[in-house]
Amino acid sequence: MTKANGRGPRLSTKLMLLGLALLIVPWFSFRHLVQMESFLIQGQSQAQLLTAEGISTLLNGREDLFNDLPLSLDGFEALYAHPLPGPIRIDARESDWAALADRWQVFGGGSEPRRITSHDSSIDALPDGAFHLLLGERGNQLYAFLRVRDESRVWRNPNLLRLDNADHIRLSYLTDQGDEGRLQITMQGPGVTTAYHMDAEWKFAEHGLPENRVQGYVEETDYGYNLEFRMPMSMLGSRRSFGLAVVDVDDPETRQIRGIAQTLPQSGRENFHLVVLRSPEVLNIVRGLGYSGARILVIDSQRRVRAEAGSSIEPSESTSDTPGWLERLFDMFRPNVRTSSDLAPEDTEQGLITVGGQVIDAALQGQPSAVRRRRDEGVEVIMAAHPIVSRNQVIGTVVVEQNTDDILDLQRDALGRIVLVSATSLLAVFVALLAFSVRLAWRIRRVGSETTNAIDRHGRLKTSELRHEIHSGDEIGDLARSVSSMLTKLHQHTQFLESMPRTLRHEINNPLNAVSTSLQNLEQEMPAMEANKYLESAKRGVLRIGVIVQNLADAANLEDALESEELEVVDLHELLKSYVGNCHNAHPDCQFVFRSSPGPAPARVADYRIEQLLDKLIDNAVDFHWPGSPIRIHLDVVRDHIEITVANRGPPLQPEIENNLFDSMVSQRVATRDNRLHFGLGLYVVRVIAERHGGSARAANLTDGSGVAITVALPLASMAPRLRATG
Amino acid sequence: MPKSIAIVEDDDDQRENYRDAITKKGYTVSAYGSRKEALSGFDDALPDLVILDIILGEEVDAGFELCRDLLARSPSLPVIFLTERIEEIDKISGLRLGAWDYLPKPISLEYLAERISSLLRINEARYQNSAGGSRGSDSARKIGHLTLDQEALLVSWKNKQIDLSGTEFRMLAKLVRVPGHAVSYETLMNATMQSLVTNNTINTHMRNIRKKFERVDPEFASIKSEYGYGYRWVSK
Repeated sequence: MTKANGRGPRLSTKLMLLGLALLIVPWFSFRHLVQMESFLIQGQSQAQLLTAEGISTLLNGREDLFNDLPLSLDGFEALYAHPLPGPIRIDARESDWAALADRWQVFGGGSEPRRITSHDSSIDALPDGAFHLLLGERGNQLYAFLRVRDESRVWRNPNLLRLDNADHIRLSYLTDQGDEGRLQITMQGPGVTTAYHMDAEWKFAEHGLPENRVQGYVEETDYGYNLEFRMPMSMLGSRRSFGLAVVDVDDPETRQIRGIAQTLPQSGRENFHLVVLRSPEVLNIVRGLGYSGARILVIDSQRRVRAEAGSSIEPSESTSDTPGWLERLFDMFRPNVRTSSDLAPEDTEQGLITVGGQVIDAALQGQPSAVRRRRDEGVEVIMAAHPIVSRNQVIGTVVVEQNTDDILDLQRDALGRIVLVSATSLLAVFVALLAFSVRLAWRIRRVGSETTNAIDRHGRLKTSELRHEIHSGDEIGDLARSVSSMLTKLHQHTQFLESMPRTLRHEINNPLNAVSTSLQNLEQEMPAMEANKYLESAKRGVLRIGVIVQNLADAANLEDALESEELEVVDLHELLKSYVGNCHNAHPDCQFVFRSSPGPAPARVADYRIEQLLDKLIDNAVDFHWPGSPIRIHLDVVRDHIEITVANRGPPLQPEIENNLFDSMVSQRVATRDNRLHFGLGLYVVRVIAERHGGSARAANLTDGSGVAITVALPLASMAPRLRATG
Repeated sequence: MPKSIAIVEDDDDQRENYRDAITKKGYTVSAYGSRKEALSGFDDALPDLVILDIILGEEVDAGFELCRDLLARSPSLPVIFLTERIEEIDKISGLRLGAWDYLPKPISLEYLAERISSLLRINEARYQNSAGGSRGSDSARKIGHLTLDQEALLVSWKNKQIDLSGTEFRMLAKLVRVPGHAVSYETLMNATMQSLVTNNTINTHMRNIRKKFERVDPEFASIKSEYGYGYRWVSK
């Protein structure tokens, strides 16, 4: 009854399943987090765009800052004048240039200028006359440092007018006016150099006056000499075309030029390199705007980086090679970030920018935009670009690049917290829910089982109220209370019904007695009426009413009466033998067959109750047996109990009555053939007595269907020393 | 001088029927309808025998109280309870109070008359015995350890007196008439002198008798069940 087979899950299971719905909470938190991320990213993009816009505002209309380069670089090769971080002393010492140590270019060692990397060949390995060059710019001055490989240094003899008969440096450039300028730096030995404007042949000075704006210093080294010099940018004009050649003279006697190593291509159709400068003014403007984690690039319309400040890549301490489970989990759900390197700002060393990318494209077309992308190193950055406008022309763009580590860190922290809090609260809710459901189920089960147990197998009320839960304030309490009050009412009703026969007898017996005594007196007073048939039938009627009432009351009182019986150990074998032996007296027309397993069959019983039980069994069997067929009484000791079976041949039991055959007022009798009284109490009495003795009663059709066997099982008792012998 | 019988019964019809029937037997009858009436009647004169209904009007135990009252005044007064309350507990209470007999309704007026005369006779016999100072052993009968005095309604086992109610005495007398012979339920039913008796009633009476003997002698085992037939007295 308490099993719920095939009727859906139990209450606790249902509650647990409902509890699973709580899993939505972390999911929503996560969705929220992802949205928050995109919101933050968007916010940062906006901020970067604003920054870019602000910077571009500073630069708007300042095309002069960008105009110092030809619009096209075709046919030019560039010399790079790097912005110098610190002041330079013209002393031919490299210490001032330390910051640019990896920017050396080699000339004369081959046809193409090369950059020297730290592990590149040293100056010693170069052929005679080759040189290393480093250009820098600071304070509107162009600085140059040369390491010249020269096995035999020939210094200028001041007595000679010709200037090309010693080691020297030639500088060529174009002035603003488009004229070609020629300068020669002559060296009269280690120390300060002198520069002269030269004639077209590079042989004599144009005039005797040295160019004082070009200041230099030379110093001998193992491999040759070092030369450091500077010249004002203004000399180069806006075109900034510039060439440099190292002229090597080895024989101090003949003083013939042995070789010229130059920055110009040997067969060059152009005489000049372009000196590419980071626009210092732009840089100055931008530098002040740089902030941590952000890189600002100013790019001109030719995609050349004109200024750069800050770095977007900062080593993040939280970034490990193998991302933690949290990051992995997080990455799983993140919108894909493009990893294509549409912009590689690191490629800006060459100054000539090949950066592509939609952002810059868009910006150069006048559209400010921002994009989020991931670098190969796993660093994610946001790039925002804003055009710089002058006279309705886009003259460049400002790119602000910042990595998103801060945001992601924030997000990871939040995610971690959410996961932790959700897990904890989920666990807590789960435990609480589990405990609650277990308790709830337990309470309901307790009420249920108590309710179930309130009525026994035969539908008798055993209790008039529930003991548990009736003081609870919740619905279960309500349920318990209503069940309890139901039980109480049922109990009252049952009591009423149970006391009914007694009350009835009490109430009927008095008038019955009045009728009975009146009849007796009537008979006495009128002797003539003796044997009057009406009087006789009245007396019979009175007697029958008396019997009916008596039987009903006896049956109703049976269980109470049985409670007060004293039990003793009786040998049922002896009892039955004696009983069956006497059956002939009561039923002379019937044949009784008794069979039993040998040996005593002791049971703790009230002997005359067993006798009463047998009376009912025999009465029943006699009533239903086919005339002439024997009634069989069997006594069997089966393991720990004794079975008394009374079987008769006769009509089999109807299935619908079989289950409640032993209930009161149930009878299979179709019609009363005799005048005897049948209330269906006989087998009820059998059951009640059997159960009172700890046994049971059952009825079954004989296997061949020829009759009915009713079996009473009683527990076997150990043989008591004082077994009352039966007479 | 006719014996005086008092009847206390709240039902008018029954009371009148009893009165008529008993008067016809030659007794003087005073009938009362309530405990109060009865008490005031008893104050004037005590009857020779009292027939009591237990429930009188609203008073459920009025009969018991009256019985207690009467026996306090006259311990040897024969009292017959006459009632529809035949539950075991009532029998025990009534007999413990010292009632002589107990008759369930509906009753046979014939039996009632017999009981009245029998009780009066017995009472007289006892009175004469105690007055005469000699044991009226002439009517007594001895069967083994059992002594049965039909006249005085006295029973003793191994010389110890046993108090039996009138019904019980008559049943025992029937049982021991021929010792060793089984006595059927039917015979025993007749002995109860009640109009409506079942096997169960007999069994209950027999058990009560057995218990009363066992109280005196725990070894008592002379009353045997003859299952399916009746009882048998076995003398050792």
